[in-house]
Amino acid sequence: MRIGIVCPYSFDVPGGVQFHVRDLAEYFIAQGHHVSVLAPANDETADLPPYVVTCGRAVPVRYNGSVARLTFGPVTGARVAKWLENGGFDVLHLHEPVTPSASMLALWASEGPTVATFHTSNLRSRAMQAAYPLVRASLEKIGGRIAVSEDARRTVTTHVGGDAVVIPNGVYVDRFASAATDPRWVGTPDRPTVAFLGRMEEPRKGMPVLAAALPAVIAAVPGVRVLVAGPGDAKEVTAGMSRETVAACEFLGPVSEEDKARLLRSVDVYVAPNTGGESFGIILIEAMSAGTAVLASDIPAFVRVLDGGTAGRTFANENPADLARVLVDLLRDRDERLSVAAAGALRARVFDWSVVAEDVMAVYETVTAGAAAAADAADPSGLWARVVRMGRGSGLE
Amino acid sequence: MSTQEMLLLGFAAAVLLAWYLSYSAARLDRLHGRVEGTLAVLDAALVRRAEAALELANSGVLDPASALLLADASAQSLSEAVDAPGGREMVESELTEAIRLSLPDEVVAVVRAEHVDGTDAIDRLSAANDRVQLARRFHNDAVTAVRQVRRKVVVRWFRLAGHADLPRTVEFDDDIPTGLRG
Repeated sequence: MRIGIVCPYSFDVPGGVQFHVRDLAEYFIAQGHHVSVLAPANDETADLPPYVVTCGRAVPVRYNGSVARLTFGPVTGARVAKWLENGGFDVLHLHEPVTPSASMLALWASEGPTVATFHTSNLRSRAMQAAYPLVRASLEKIGGRIAVSEDARRTVTTHVGGDAVVIPNGVYVDRFASAATDPRWVGTPDRPTVAFLGRMEEPRKGMPVLAAALPAVIAAVPGVRVLVAGPGDAKEVTAGMSRETVAACEFLGPVSEEDKARLLRSVDVYVAPNTGGESFGIILIEAMSAGTAVLASDIPAFVRVLDGGTAGRTFANENPADLARVLVDLLRDRDERLSVAAAGALRARVFDWSVVAEDVMAVYETVTAGAAAAADAADPSGLWARVVRMGRGSGLE
Repeated sequence: MSTQEMLLLGFAAAVLLAWYLSYSAARLDRLHGRVEGTLAVLDAALVRRAEAALELANSGVLDPASALLLADASAQSLSEAVDAPGGREMVESELTEAIRLSLPDEVVAVVRAEHVDGTDAIDRLSAANDRVQLARRFHNDAVTAVRQVRRKVVVRWFRLAGHADLPRTVEFDDDIPTGLRG
């Protein structure tokens, strides 16, 4: 199958949608399909994978409440149209089609079978309401809509209209399951290790909740080491902490993909204290894949990933005391920790690309079959003849 | 304003209206085409599901009573006689119900443990049911889009839909136990 995938965000900048597109494209290429990815790039000379075609430089724009790097305008539009024309795709797969970027332009120009994936769960309705008549005619071209989570699906039903099938984000489970451990990060019975990943100065990632819980954790498990990975200024985070708490924290700074896998594989417990705004929680699945016990806040997206809380432990969101209580439980009880980790590793398999990409392929096949059937049904005698045609049945009976 | 100018203005307005009507008609036509396509796909997916269910019923891995129940429901779905009360939607809901009743999780676990052929048949039925869910969801999306456009004033006043029936969403139960999935 010839597959054209459009990513609205710069491909040379890390991000959830970009990783999703990359992994999906690479899975289908390994399966023997022809895949071309169209995406903007911050630096067009950047070293991009061979299957990526750039459609122009992305510029930082404030949209939907945050700054995103997007691309638009007539030059990009022409490049998108040319890519579509040259591609001869059997199916076009757009990501985030209501973001003002390459996906929207591709949808506008698209005439063939089209699939769209909605990632965001916090779309603001202001833009959608203002531009809805403009966008709706385009959205009608989408033959199959995918949402990466129930929250993303709810965004589709409330802001875009219609429905979407839920196909989760994928993870290459084996990359995490077979990562090497790193002796610097492996916990011992006296000095167990806990990992936090993410932007520490962004409050919704939950670092303040973890910091508030640490004194109680240290009191119960004096040797605990907290490994904090991700961008941010450590001084800002440690400002209000006691000396013991600061001593328990080790700041690793931003880590590479390989180091992330090794870190998750090495530590005893991975903590995700995010307070909200998460649509999915791919990092939880990565930790579960690595065979690490997951402790997460009980926000809806996380509870769903953890299969109702059976594939990992949860604590009451934004409640440091509850976080400390469950974390101490896990650190003290090795058997409990191992059984949580085993349940998580089993659960992670559901999100392996081998499962997820096949579901996406089923969507492609359903949509292309529908387009082919529609083309067959089309009366060749022209537009007006079809418009005034006599009553054709359109129910199942 | 001279008569000439008035005429010109009137002409321009008529051209604009004609373009808008033509655009709306083309858009509606595309949507009707899409609905026909999605309906054909749903129809094909339902036939494949019924065939997979019948195959499983005849594979000998189920007890005779369950097999008969499943075979009866799938044969009813495959038969042309779908003018039963409630129509095809009722028939398909009944097939889903039969799948649920004849393949509870414990039976599926036994088949998966003991029968290679039976496992294949269950996997095929499960995959076919997934396709039914996708096809129905996408069809209903297309129907919703058509109905939205047909509510528009210009479409109603200028009868842009012609005599095409107003499509309706297809509603039946297509939820099978997760245990069927591998």
